[in-house]
Amino acid sequence: MIEITNLAKNFGKVQALDGLSFTAKDGEITGILGPNGAGKTTCLRTLYGLLKADTGSAIIDGIDVAQQPLLARTRLGIFPDKFGLYERLTAYEQIDYFASIHGLTGSNKKQAIEQVLNDLDMQELAHRKTQGFSQGQRMKVTLAQALVHQPQNFVLDEPTRGLDVMSTRILRNHLSKFKEKGHCILFSSHVMQEVAALCDRVIIVANGKLAAQGTPEELCELAGESQLEEAFVKIIGSDEGVAA
Amino acid sequence: MIQFKALLSKEYKEAFRDKRALMVAMMMAVMAPVMIFALSKTMIKEMVATPPVYVKVSGAEFAPKLIKQLEKENILLFSAVPDGDKRLWDERNIELTIPETFAKDMLDGKTINLTLSTDYSEKAIRSPIRRIKDEINTYGRVIGYKRLIVRGIDARLLRPIKINEQDTAEPSSNAMFISMMLGLYLLMAAFMSGLSVAIDSSAGERERNVLEMLLCQPVSTLKIVLAKLCSASTISAIGVILTLLLTSVSVSFVDLSKIGATFSLDAYSVFVIIVLLLPISFFASALQLFVSFGAKSFKEAQSTVSMIIMLPAMIPVALMFIDDKPAWLDWLPVSGQSLLMEDLFKDVPINWVEVFATGGVTIAMTVALVMVLAHKLKSEKVVMALS
Repeated sequence: MIEITNLAKNFGKVQALDGLSFTAKDGEITGILGPNGAGKTTCLRTLYGLLKADTGSAIIDGIDVAQQPLLARTRLGIFPDKFGLYERLTAYEQIDYFASIHGLTGSNKKQAIEQVLNDLDMQELAHRKTQGFSQGQRMKVTLAQALVHQPQNFVLDEPTRGLDVMSTRILRNHLSKFKEKGHCILFSSHVMQEVAALCDRVIIVANGKLAAQGTPEELCELAGESQLEEAFVKIIGSDEGVAA
Repeated sequence: MIQFKALLSKEYKEAFRDKRALMVAMMMAVMAPVMIFALSKTMIKEMVATPPVYVKVSGAEFAPKLIKQLEKENILLFSAVPDGDKRLWDERNIELTIPETFAKDMLDGKTINLTLSTDYSEKAIRSPIRRIKDEINTYGRVIGYKRLIVRGIDARLLRPIKINEQDTAEPSSNAMFISMMLGLYLLMAAFMSGLSVAIDSSAGERERNVLEMLLCQPVSTLKIVLAKLCSASTISAIGVILTLLLTSVSVSFVDLSKIGATFSLDAYSVFVIIVLLLPISFFASALQLFVSFGAKSFKEAQSTVSMIIMLPAMIPVALMFIDDKPAWLDWLPVSGQSLLMEDLFKDVPINWVEVFATGGVTIAMTVALVMVLAHKLKSEKVVMALS
């Protein structure tokens, strides 16, 4: 479970976050929607413990990120915005690397890696160096290294950007499976259809504040539109829709 | 510990699979012995041999005995110059003028004025000129002594005092030059060898978007920095050791004692140099990591770090010009090691207190750099610069 409470952060004169609050529950997929510059990345970086909030708190499974960033991060699996790979390592070695960083050893580690390789159907890729991997293959490696330690919470920052249909479907299936196991999934996106299809709850962020939240249907209803995209534009376009 | 082991093994895997970086490191090591070998070979040749010198003599016919004496010492007439060297000696233009009154003046016991003219400022001519002057002086002196002996006077009267020169400032300047070059080269090797690994694992990882992922993991930045430092300085140390070993092999093919060198790269000096340079390997890598983590891109890191490489080259050269060296220079990184290596090459007994003092200071500065860097990686400034 991820709880963001009254988060504020400014960089000089720019107010990136202005009292943002929301909760992402276990067993649900929560989507963050927001125009560019709304504060999504700042919010997620605060959640990772990379940035320190001016006020407010980010709490992961009851652990305050600002107080114990290292402990909080053990509860997180991260699929970053711009994911890069260690191109001189094989896929297996990369997954192994992240598993070891999360403290897995010996047969536990081996099992965890085998498990995630099977889940993502990437046995063939495992022992190839990642240099020259396609975008979809890169996505799989990044996903595997984020999930190898079976984190309770899984955060994805625009994961489907640059992916083809097949890779997107693999990702979606995997997220659904993960949700069923009772994990908490938080993911930011720009693709409305995807958010509408996948997310149980949607959080709309504009100007560093929560603009609206609810199920996709509730948001459509709130804005009086039938499409989530129209609702989104209406909600961020005016302050009328602010409801929390 | 599990984390550190994982970080370290990943850094090593990346470093040793980076063929380009390894090539740079090993190239330094291979170039050094070749350079030292070639340099000492040519120097020995220059010092020991008496290559032919060609002089444009006008009035050679007036002093045949003198000319004969000169020819014995390989100082020849310009007319005898082989075609290949003709232009060279024509340019050097060494002219000796013998007056036509030579024989008559010799008989009369008058001083004969010979004129030797050339461009004295040119370095390449100095040695031929010295040889010509020495030879003519000797020729004249021998005649003078004979004159005295004929008159029943002991020629030793002309030398009331004789100086016995004992040069304690060994080795000769040429040998000193070679050892200076070697010392400089080893310092350069320490700075150069780990360079690409240091840049690649910091600025390179940032550019490939893997640094942010790593900073989001539950691992302290200190461990990250230490792992990167270990891998870069290992490569640097390998570079230094390889340079030393290959150089000691190549130097054994040259007889350096011919040019007055008293040092040899035996097991003991190799050991001392390694003890001296290991801390430098760590210091150099820490400095490079520090700078390239601060750089915005791989390219920026490369250009900034190449300025750091000037450090080992500048300091020993600057030290040469300081006659009164302040004591703290013995303690500082790079300068301390450089001075101690100079002692080693001069065959001065090594002051182990200084070895450990300068090593200690170097390590302390490395630790400080690592701590500051680990702290910096936690700062928001670095995170903001990620994207």
